[in-house]
Amino acid sequence: MSRPAPLGHGLGLRPIYYEEILSTRPNVDWFEIISENYMIGGGRPTAMLERVRADYPIVMHGVAMSLASTDPLDFDYLRELKALAERIEPAWVSDHLAWTGVHGVTLHDLLPIPYTQEALAHVAERVMRVQDFLGRRLVVENASTYVAFRESEMSEWAFVDELARRADCMLLLDVNNVFVSGFNHGFDPNEFIDAINPDRVAQFHMAGHTDNGTHRVDTHDQPVCDEVWTLYERARRRFGAVSTMIERDDNFPPFDELLTELGHMREIAARIDADVARSAA
Amino acid sequence: MRLADLQAMFQAGVLAGAEDGARILESVKNSAQADRTTLFGVYVNAYRARLAEFLAADFPALRALIGEEAFDALADAYIGAQPSRQRNARWYTTRLPDFLRESAEWRDNARAIDLASFERALTDAFDAPDAEPLTIDALGGFASEQWPSLSFAFHPSLILLELEAGTIATHEAAMEQQELPPPDEQRGHVAVWRADLDSVHCELEADEFLALSLAMEGHAFGDICQMAAFRDLEDASPERLAQMLTGWFQEGLVVAAQVSAEE
Repeated sequence: MSRPAPLGHGLGLRPIYYEEILSTRPNVDWFEIISENYMIGGGRPTAMLERVRADYPIVMHGVAMSLASTDPLDFDYLRELKALAERIEPAWVSDHLAWTGVHGVTLHDLLPIPYTQEALAHVAERVMRVQDFLGRRLVVENASTYVAFRESEMSEWAFVDELARRADCMLLLDVNNVFVSGFNHGFDPNEFIDAINPDRVAQFHMAGHTDNGTHRVDTHDQPVCDEVWTLYERARRRFGAVSTMIERDDNFPPFDELLTELGHMREIAARIDADVARSAA
Repeated sequence: MRLADLQAMFQAGVLAGAEDGARILESVKNSAQADRTTLFGVYVNAYRARLAEFLAADFPALRALIGEEAFDALADAYIGAQPSRQRNARWYTTRLPDFLRESAEWRDNARAIDLASFERALTDAFDAPDAEPLTIDALGGFASEQWPSLSFAFHPSLILLELEAGTIATHEAAMEQQELPPPDEQRGHVAVWRADLDSVHCELEADEFLALSLAMEGHAFGDICQMAAFRDLEDASPERLAQMLTGWFQEGLVVAAQVSAEE
């Protein structure tokens, strides 16, 4: 098992920024797409993606695989996903440790699971089947959650780490999700970061969230907050140079503001690399 | 509790919009700061809000026509009657015009139904499959005696609609946030397709609507000229049909031409 080569510092490819990205070719190392937005017939979305793809590495990030659902895997969906991957040749394909519905219904949300041995065996088996079908290793992301179940038998980080080992998949560590879930369920996010096997982490997500006082919601409509930058620094020191991107999906700022956030991320990474080089010398 | 039972119960609570009465709450813990009803409510509220957002994004003119309050009630009714069975959220809103047609409250409101159908066509044309348009020069490859047997394939984004004549004016005014024009209940015809990566539309005369409908069904050029329905239309003639065909090529609507097998 080896981690994919790091792509550097990326952003999400969102329709509102197509024209600016294509006309200015910004200093962004790679772009992440929401896979489902391009699992359509054609037209502007696919044309823009092909143009961006000509100049930048792309990662495919899905929201609808429903890896933890007890419904059967949807092979029509997986066939479409595979066809998109064959066309775009992404650096990797990711989705979430979550379910989106059962009994043929889709709630279009990333829903939480109890961290049980039953769920672990179930999800690991499905990840392996998806990997076999796609012919590539999957990258699985920890989701933000708002409820915790009495049925849980282990911590989320124990579940995630064991899932990666059993399914032989990679992980997308969403640093903001670790923070949000830590706040909502009263765990120390550092404990989560410190428990994950570094060899399994292929990517980080960074994002902003909404603070509702009693709970926090992963809304991707704010800049990354200070606490999440601090947690990123811890993750970056533990996991090394991992491909990292900032997700922004609502309340879109001018593109320059995202580039400024990306610059901040690069400064943190450069400082950590300098510290590491100094201590190695 | 088995994972399958837990998921069924969780989903039932979300679909019922029941943040305080869901049976799943027995499995949910309170957090240090929030009670479990509030926390489960995040999923319940996000579900309705997200689907309502999809509808508002795809039907902005309908929303302007019927007003926010009626649109919110319509969205609630649609979401309640129509849980999503599409993995890709892109398709969730597709049935709204049919829902209006089937609803006791809306079925007599042709203006709203037609506006919704037009907006759906704009959305469908926007991301329909790609196809390379054929240039009119391609017709030079066919001998003149083959012309009556020529049939055509059209761009996958092309959609024909019969609508209230005032639909387009209402749509334009709504999108520009102008005062909406009075209703015009006469029937009219519209073609919607994609050009230069954006949805476009144009109004069609009755004869062109009929000829294009027949051509899209695969009827040959000569057959369309012969069709009684087409001949009955004023101004209909082979020359008029040839003129229309030229226009379809110029708009990039024709993607293939072939000689139909003799019957």
